Amino acid sequence: MIEIERLTFRYPGAPVDALSELSLRVRSGSLFGLLGPNGSGKTTLVSILAGILPAQRGAVTIDGLELAHNTRAIQSTSSLVPQEYAFYPRLSVLENLRFFAAVQAIPAHEVPSRIDEVLTISGLGDARKRRAEHFSGGMKRRLNFAIGMLNRPRLLFLDEPTVGIDPQSRAFILDTVRRVNAQGTTVIYTSHYMEEVEALCDEIGVMDHGRLLIQGSLARLLGGEHGRELVCTFSASLAAEQRARLATLDGAELRADGLKLSPCSETELRSVLELCRELGVGLGRVKYGHGNLEELFLHMTQRSLRDD
Amino acid sequence: MRSLVHLILKEWLVLLHDWHALLLLFAMPVLFILVMSLALRDQFAAHKGVAITYHLRNDDTHQAALEVEQKIREDEHFRFEASAASEVELLERVGRDAVHFLVVIPSGFGAALLDDAPVAVRVTSGPAVEPAVELLFEAAVRGAVTDVFTAARIARIERSLPEGANDAGSLSIEREDVDALVERRAADASAPERPSAVQQNVPAWLLFAMFFIAIPLSTTWVQERQQGTFARLRAMGVTRSRMLLGKLVPYFAINLLQVGSMLCVGVYLVPLCGGDALTLGQSPAALVVMALAVSFASVSYALLIANVVTTSEQATIFTGVSNLLLAVLGGIMVPRFVMPQAMQAIGSWSPMAWGLEGFLDIFLRRGGVDEVGGEAVWLGAFGIACLLGAALFMGRRRAK
Repeated sequence: MIEIERLTFRYPGAPVDALSELSLRVRSGSLFGLLGPNGSGKTTLVSILAGILPAQRGAVTIDGLELAHNTRAIQSTSSLVPQEYAFYPRLSVLENLRFFAAVQAIPAHEVPSRIDEVLTISGLGDARKRRAEHFSGGMKRRLNFAIGMLNRPRLLFLDEPTVGIDPQSRAFILDTVRRVNAQGTTVIYTSHYMEEVEALCDEIGVMDHGRLLIQGSLARLLGGEHGRELVCTFSASLAAEQRARLATLDGAELRADGLKLSPCSETELRSVLELCRELGVGLGRVKYGHGNLEELFLHMTQRSLRDD
Repeated sequence: MRSLVHLILKEWLVLLHDWHALLLLFAMPVLFILVMSLALRDQFAAHKGVAITYHLRNDDTHQAALEVEQKIREDEHFRFEASAASEVELLERVGRDAVHFLVVIPSGFGAALLDDAPVAVRVTSGPAVEPAVELLFEAAVRGAVTDVFTAARIARIERSLPEGANDAGSLSIEREDVDALVERRAADASAPERPSAVQQNVPAWLLFAMFFIAIPLSTTWVQERQQGTFARLRAMGVTRSRMLLGKLVPYFAINLLQVGSMLCVGVYLVPLCGGDALTLGQSPAALVVMALAVSFASVSYALLIANVVTTSEQATIFTGVSNLLLAVLGGIMVPRFVMPQAMQAIGSWSPMAWGLEGFLDIFLRRGGVDEVGGEAVWLGAFGIACLLGAALFMGRRRAK
């Protein structure tokens, strides 16, 4: 279990906090999707959890151990797979794995079996002697991932592990992440790909401006009032006055033949229906139900995912 | 063609967005030109600020000796350093290049000036004095002696001519007559011969080359930091000090190998190509001490740069130009004694100046561990300061 209480961090010289009073709980064994636009604080949070940055204020506890006083112990059972290809391209797969195994003080007699294990996981067995600089993006991602699995982590931080790779490699990595998680490893997964997070994660947290905006299971988030949307069509063309009144609905997307409001709470649904009735607007097809993660995200952050 | 234009425009845009690199691109060459101009100014202007120094000891009270002394001291290209010390003490000072030359006008010089067996003025130069400078100074002394000798010879001939005769215009002074009046000596009488050009040049360029290891080291460091390897290593519990040492040790070893190979070139390859062979001085231990000290200083300096700059482009430019600056100030490219006093004072703080003095002690002055100890300690202290700076900047960057 990861427990974060009122975590605050500000980079030296920065005008605002990168993390501000952030509190979060991630249960053991979960596959937790961490979403947020660039600059929202995801990388800072992961860096603190991985022991790269110190927590300035607040408390972080991982599996009952306070991070500030047990950094090394926690690092030995956790692993970070950065977004960049964090290995040595001039070295072969084996040389890289041997190096990173040695750095983590994995006992020498265990190293060969660990390497075989991660080669199997990553599917790089046939390429073990090839230098990484000659790899495709997908193979580099797999090597990046394999290095992260060397210490058999109980907690795995994956930072955008599928950026810039082909669909086959992406499917391979996602499948591998699922298998690793199924074996009991807690995974913190950050990604820009909403459909990936939606398909993969059982729990999601949305961050922005260094704060956690929302957290919960995918079903709960999309099933809750933040996750529902209203899509309806008009039975006839609207008069200008009718359009003007409907356009005043907060967050409504008014189209030529209909209206969309996402997310839409039940209260908002009732308001829309009452307004239509009051204006004499006939409705054709009405759909009210679950939206998708991207719509929820845009609603929560009020901006595009790739905006700064 | 269109793609080329876009490539050029893109490059400008990249530079404009990286103001650190832009600053380095313009500020460093400006600084380099400034330092070079200041350092070389006096070499060509030849005014009173030039600091080629000499002691002059006149043991003769004869009028001719006094005139020679006066004429030498009238030459403003060289600076007279007054001293009442004994000849042995003065020789010792020249031997360690504290003063560049010693001129001794021995007792009996004036009286024997026109004899068949004259007593010669002795000119002794320091081991690190460049041959060109040595020739210039010797020519100045020889000119002064020649003037006095010529005047004395004319006076004698005139005295021997019958009353009313005037045949002095047909006088000729043989070159051999004057040559015998000036004698050039090495500071160390026991030294087999004057150091060759190889012997004088190799220490400077050896040192310069040793500091150039900073370029590959700093760029590699920056690249690893940028590609997230350092973040991964930190997440694996690798400490800053280990990461610094992990780079310092192998590059230190590589640097020492470079030293070995460069010395081998001087000792074995240069003679094969028709040049003078390099001799390694008389103290292998001193050479090892200096090689270790310079390597430590250069690798630590590289680590400091690597942690100060942001991109590998900045690392390349900064390291290259700062090496040139340190080399100029340290006397690698221009002997420090031809610089104005202010530049010499600044240059004395260049690690390359310490390194050069140490190597000159070994290669030219036949010094041992005691002689190079001071320079080695300075280089060691510089290396430690750079390492601490690197750790400090690394820590600050870690929190960014």
